[in-house]
Amino acid sequence: MTNGKNGRKSVLVVGGGIAGIQSSLDLANMGFKVYLVEKSPSIGGKMAQLDKTFPTNDCAMCILAPKMIEASSHDNIELMTYSEVEKVSGKLGEFKVQVRKKSSFVDWEKCTGCGVCLEGCPVIIPDAFDQSIGSRKAIYLYYPQAVPKKCVIDKREERPCKAACIDACPIHTNVPGYIKLVEQKQFKDAYKLIRETNPFPAVVGRVCYAPCEEACNRGQMDEPLCIRDLKRVPGDQWSVDDLEVPTVTKTGKKVAVVGAGPAGLTVANDLALKGHDVTVFEALPEPGGMLRVGIPEYRLPKAILRQEIGYIEKLGVEIKTGIQVGKDITLKQLKKDYDAIFLGVGTHGGMRLGVEGEDLPGVMEGIAFLRAASLGEKVGVGKKVAVIGGGNTAIDCACTARRLGAEEVTIVYRRSRAEMPAAAEEVEAAEKEGIRIEFLTNPVRFSAQNKKLAQMECVRMELGEPDESGRRRPIPVKGSEFTTPVDTVIAALGQTAETDFLKEQGVSLSKRGMIEVEAGTGATSVEGVFAGGDVVTGPAYVVDAIAAGKTAARSMDQYLNGQPLEAEKPAGEPEEFSKEEIEDRKKRFPAAKRVKMKEEPAKSRVADFREVTRGYSLEEGLEEASRCLAGQVEGCIECRECERRCEPDAIVYGMKDEVVELDVNAIIVATGLGLYDLSPLTEYGYGKIKNVITAMEFERLTAASGPTMGELRRASDGRIPENIAFIQCVGSRDLRNKAYCSSVCCMHSTKEAMLAFEHHPGTKSTIFYMDMRAVGKRFQEYIARAEKDYNVTYIRGRPGRIEVNPENGNPVIWYEETTTGEVKSFETEMVVLAQAMVPEIDETLAKALGIELDEEGFVKTEDKLRQPLDTTRPGVFACGFVHSPRDIPDSVTQASGAAGRAAEAISGGK
Amino acid sequence: MEEPRIGVFICHCGINIGAYVKVPDLVDYVQELPNVVYSERNLFTCSEEGVSAIKKAIKEHDLNRVVVASCTPRTHETLFRAACEEAGLNKYLFEFVNIRDQCSWVHMKEPEKATEKAGDLIRMGIAKARLLQPLEEIEIKVAPSAMVIGGGVVGMEAALNLAKQDFDVHLVEKEPELGGTLRSINMLFQTNQEAAKLVKTLAEQVKSHPRIKTHLSSKIKQVTGFIGNFEVKLDNKAGESEFSVGTIIVAVGAESLKPEGQYGYGKLANVVTQLELEEKMKKGEPAGQNVVMINCVGARVPERTYCSRICCMTAIKNASLIKEANPKAKVWVLHRDLMTYGVDFENHYRRAMELGVRFIRYSLDRPPEVIGEKKVEKLKVYHELWRREIELPCDTLVLTTPLIPSEDNKDISRMLKVSMDEFGFLLEAHLKLRPVEFAMDGVYICGSVRWPTDVTEGVSQAYAAAAKAAGPLRMGYVKAEAINAAVDEEACSGCGVCELLCSFQAIELQPKGDKRVSHVNEALCKGCGTCSAACPSGAISMHHFTDEQILAQVEALFS
Repeated sequence: MTNGKNGRKSVLVVGGGIAGIQSSLDLANMGFKVYLVEKSPSIGGKMAQLDKTFPTNDCAMCILAPKMIEASSHDNIELMTYSEVEKVSGKLGEFKVQVRKKSSFVDWEKCTGCGVCLEGCPVIIPDAFDQSIGSRKAIYLYYPQAVPKKCVIDKREERPCKAACIDACPIHTNVPGYIKLVEQKQFKDAYKLIRETNPFPAVVGRVCYAPCEEACNRGQMDEPLCIRDLKRVPGDQWSVDDLEVPTVTKTGKKVAVVGAGPAGLTVANDLALKGHDVTVFEALPEPGGMLRVGIPEYRLPKAILRQEIGYIEKLGVEIKTGIQVGKDITLKQLKKDYDAIFLGVGTHGGMRLGVEGEDLPGVMEGIAFLRAASLGEKVGVGKKVAVIGGGNTAIDCACTARRLGAEEVTIVYRRSRAEMPAAAEEVEAAEKEGIRIEFLTNPVRFSAQNKKLAQMECVRMELGEPDESGRRRPIPVKGSEFTTPVDTVIAALGQTAETDFLKEQGVSLSKRGMIEVEAGTGATSVEGVFAGGDVVTGPAYVVDAIAAGKTAARSMDQYLNGQPLEAEKPAGEPEEFSKEEIEDRKKRFPAAKRVKMKEEPAKSRVADFREVTRGYSLEEGLEEASRCLAGQVEGCIECRECERRCEPDAIVYGMKDEVVELDVNAIIVATGLGLYDLSPLTEYGYGKIKNVITAMEFERLTAASGPTMGELRRASDGRIPENIAFIQCVGSRDLRNKAYCSSVCCMHSTKEAMLAFEHHPGTKSTIFYMDMRAVGKRFQEYIARAEKDYNVTYIRGRPGRIEVNPENGNPVIWYEETTTGEVKSFETEMVVLAQAMVPEIDETLAKALGIELDEEGFVKTEDKLRQPLDTTRPGVFACGFVHSPRDIPDSVTQASGAAGRAAEAISGGK
Repeated sequence: MEEPRIGVFICHCGINIGAYVKVPDLVDYVQELPNVVYSERNLFTCSEEGVSAIKKAIKEHDLNRVVVASCTPRTHETLFRAACEEAGLNKYLFEFVNIRDQCSWVHMKEPEKATEKAGDLIRMGIAKARLLQPLEEIEIKVAPSAMVIGGGVVGMEAALNLAKQDFDVHLVEKEPELGGTLRSINMLFQTNQEAAKLVKTLAEQVKSHPRIKTHLSSKIKQVTGFIGNFEVKLDNKAGESEFSVGTIIVAVGAESLKPEGQYGYGKLANVVTQLELEEKMKKGEPAGQNVVMINCVGARVPERTYCSRICCMTAIKNASLIKEANPKAKVWVLHRDLMTYGVDFENHYRRAMELGVRFIRYSLDRPPEVIGEKKVEKLKVYHELWRREIELPCDTLVLTTPLIPSEDNKDISRMLKVSMDEFGFLLEAHLKLRPVEFAMDGVYICGSVRWPTDVTEGVSQAYAAAAKAAGPLRMGYVKAEAINAAVDEEACSGCGVCELLCSFQAIELQPKGDKRVSHVNEALCKGCGTCSAACPSGAISMHHFTDEQILAQVEALFS
């Protein structure tokens, strides 16, 4: 009758509460091999949820934790938490047990329980361990002192979409994550989550070209999410000014960033967070680069930009404006003074049209025009304005000119609408504002009257064969020339880099004057000098500049730490739904159109530079957020934020349950207790009256590690109750519910009354009871102490109903005082119900274990006198609450007793 | 002493330490400290990588001391000690420095100071590590036999359990017969079984078991020794006998209170205790037509504050039996709180009511009054629900009295060096988590000697105590704590303060030359340090926490 490789006899203990732990320790100390199976991620059971324990008022965790650690470090005990027994076959001495190890989606060999993952997880779930008073994340530690201290992902179903948004985004923004947080109204956390990869959430939430929306899988069903607009919501609903500044350990390394545009500021942000000292040099009088001087106010209010730049400054970044590197300070000097340099000077130069009359007053270059307008310089826009070009800059110039008082604004574009590089929605918005577009038209000459621009001669174009850009080449139509009167022309043809100052240091440039960098690191040809943004790629989008900044910052940190530069791994491609998937999702999720963000009407908005889009109202934002397919699942939405943060690389999304088979000689059942569902007991108003709570909820409220850090406050108004009533036998000793006595409530209620007094001396407690069952060692003395020292009054009587005083939310208890027969009412500030307890075992588990339960659902025992810890199956023993209603000392005694019985049964002695 | 060669491993604990404490700087810093020959940092020192780095460094750099600065010894000391051991280093040459719980976590907002403090803590750890000495955990052999004191049902079950685990058991009973209190009991309510039958079956099993040696009419004269080797001397008819055992279980039970003078007990003819009623019923004598029982006689009163736990059920059992035997009989139970906790007791209570037993609550302010001269005629009692006084006819008045501790407990307490509470029950090591153990190693407790118990609970406790007692017997040895107290006998003045303070009975004054000096029993010492702190002569030092080591730490702090 031996088992195991080393021939040692072994015992399975089911249930990792105090009873199961005690049985395991006793058996292990007798030299048996023990498998301790617990269904939750940690051992500790109900005792771990308690604040203190009667009758000595020891802190529950303080006396439990050493036992848990002893069990986890005992050579003879194998902890199997997050596991369940599925089947037991065989007989005493030779049981075969199937145990399902549930997938935690975390490699526990690697997980160190540090909890860094928890902070990033966007999914907030009521925490059952805290009786749902508090919340936890989808990835969680069962409780702070959990043993083993390992994280678990609460993943209940597959994410219904492919999160293509993340893959489509150049900076891999955790889109499902922040949308989930918005949906849960966690605006600050949403902002922080976006900020993990993007220091400009509010800015990008306004001006991004949003490739994510094109990729959004919901778009294949009905319409994609308004991902960009949702990104604005956190900043709109909460103030960035409230974002705290993290404490960072300084490295002492100095970094110079040239150019305070999105790329440069991203580098500054990221490196400041790594502890480096960053100084940003900006030629213009204000930071922001194109965000500041390229994007007009009505699209991106400067106040928003200032706020987000302001936060970067709070991180310790110094921005020196009005200093042009190459002129005011040389690059050579920077190289001397700083440990690393980032070049992000953008493309602020314009392009010439190359037509006659271009230098006439009244003809302006687009980029310069926008810059002057945004810096509040006088630009002198006439009544009739022509904007040359078809890109976003042209649109911005036209709309700006309109707002500066131009009566007639015409965009002149040499190709047709289909070829326009400007975003279609921008073009449409401009047209709404009364801006006309002349397609297939090109200026050929400007002429003046009285030395002032007066006329523009154009030629009509037609489209020929595609050119190297893939667009069809425009060809002038001979003889189609025409003249139109204009007083202002803005030529928005393109942008160039101004990089001459770099040549002296040997920074390698392309033919077009762009800086050449190593892909994936942003390193230039000069050691310690990095570059990114428009000056590398040519004019591109904000998010691309941020992406470049991130890449460079990463390499620069490596460089500053003396590590080799490691190129970024290419990201995954956005995936689409298959046809079957589209059909399936359409069935599962009702169609819902996107919530369009409201705009200022075209007529009124052109009067000034007010922001065109109004942002979502709270309701609109929540509604749109609720369309995100990823967020529609319970539990983990697989946004992979935890995976990004986990340093030991322990997250395993593809983990599967595992069924293991154990050979054991005996089994001990110690699954403990559950709490009786109070819904049939409507008379007490539980669930309806806020200040009526259960005893376990009370325990979590007073526990120092609980959801309120031990603050005992009532739910209705957050006040500290000075007057608390405890009601006994709620569901116990009640033929309608549980006929039996739960055995521990008289004592735990007395303890809780003492705790209330300890938290707030003077608190008055009243305990309504039927019989004060204080039968254990030192229990009577405990009751006497409660009355004498803790302001506790005992009233014999079973309350019939509880009402609420609508004025103050106080519960009002109606009861008969049985010692006098009077029916009375009693108003109090909080009611704590001593909820009946039930054995934590169901028919399925009983069947798997092959044991019978009695009428009340406790483990059945045949010979209660001589074999009180035996079950109906030889070799299977039981202890603790699942055996009979027991307090901790009795459960612990039974646990050792069951271990003794098991040892006897498998010893082979007679 | 060989020159210390210290290796220091500083853990980032991910960002838990690393984000606030400049770990790389500390690595450089400690290298400057005397005797540090190697230092490194790990993202997680507790990871497999970290642990193998420790083992590798011990071998490659010939380390003879290891310091890990990381989280907390509470969870990780065992792991790092094991790593040292696996690399061939005595595990007590390892020193733990807590720079997470006690440093980075509490100083997150002041990283500069956190780094400075971590440096201080590590420097102190290194200072101690320099002076660490290898220690060995001694193994004490355990004689594979046990003694059970008390031959009642609880003692017999404990003896049988151990015997069935193949250990020799000496069962010592002071009476000439096995069975204890149960010999006076009529029926047992859980199974409605005759107590005598249970006692008989059990006693037969005990007597016929080859592993159990029963000593009847025997009293313990002396117990010496400690866990693993207790020497026992018995006094009995045959004279004295001696044997040695590894562990001891105390199961001597309790006695029933005789409430002299209360409610006419001892004066009026028809007043009996429940135990006396049981004896009557056992003989088949009728209980009477009108039976009144009064609960809590002598219990839950100022002079005896405790509830004796089992009496309410005893009253309900006997009341039900009377009604079952004679449905026409009237039975009243006058009670205070009715302690029918759990499933079965509550069922029995309900069933008694169905049988027609009347339960009337009385309070201590208005106790029932006995009316009658030679015998009780009537009982006057205030009926709370009716809110008036009523009179109950009575031809037998049964007083439900508590179990009280036996006088013998004093001797046991003295001989086994175990504590007694203020009532005279013996005191367990911890009310909640060590209910069947004594603070004294190797001695265990079960049944009503600890606290009143019924048979079911007592038998569960018997198994529990047997499980505890079997642990050392099965292993064949106990490991003593290596971190223990050592006495400098020259310096010891023999004042005995240490003996008085030791919670584990590990210290004894022993004659040495012309004086008495303190002697530490290594088998019992838990290394708590109380004696060392208290010794006025500074004669006791703690291994692994010597004055020299602690002062070196203090000096390092202020250096």
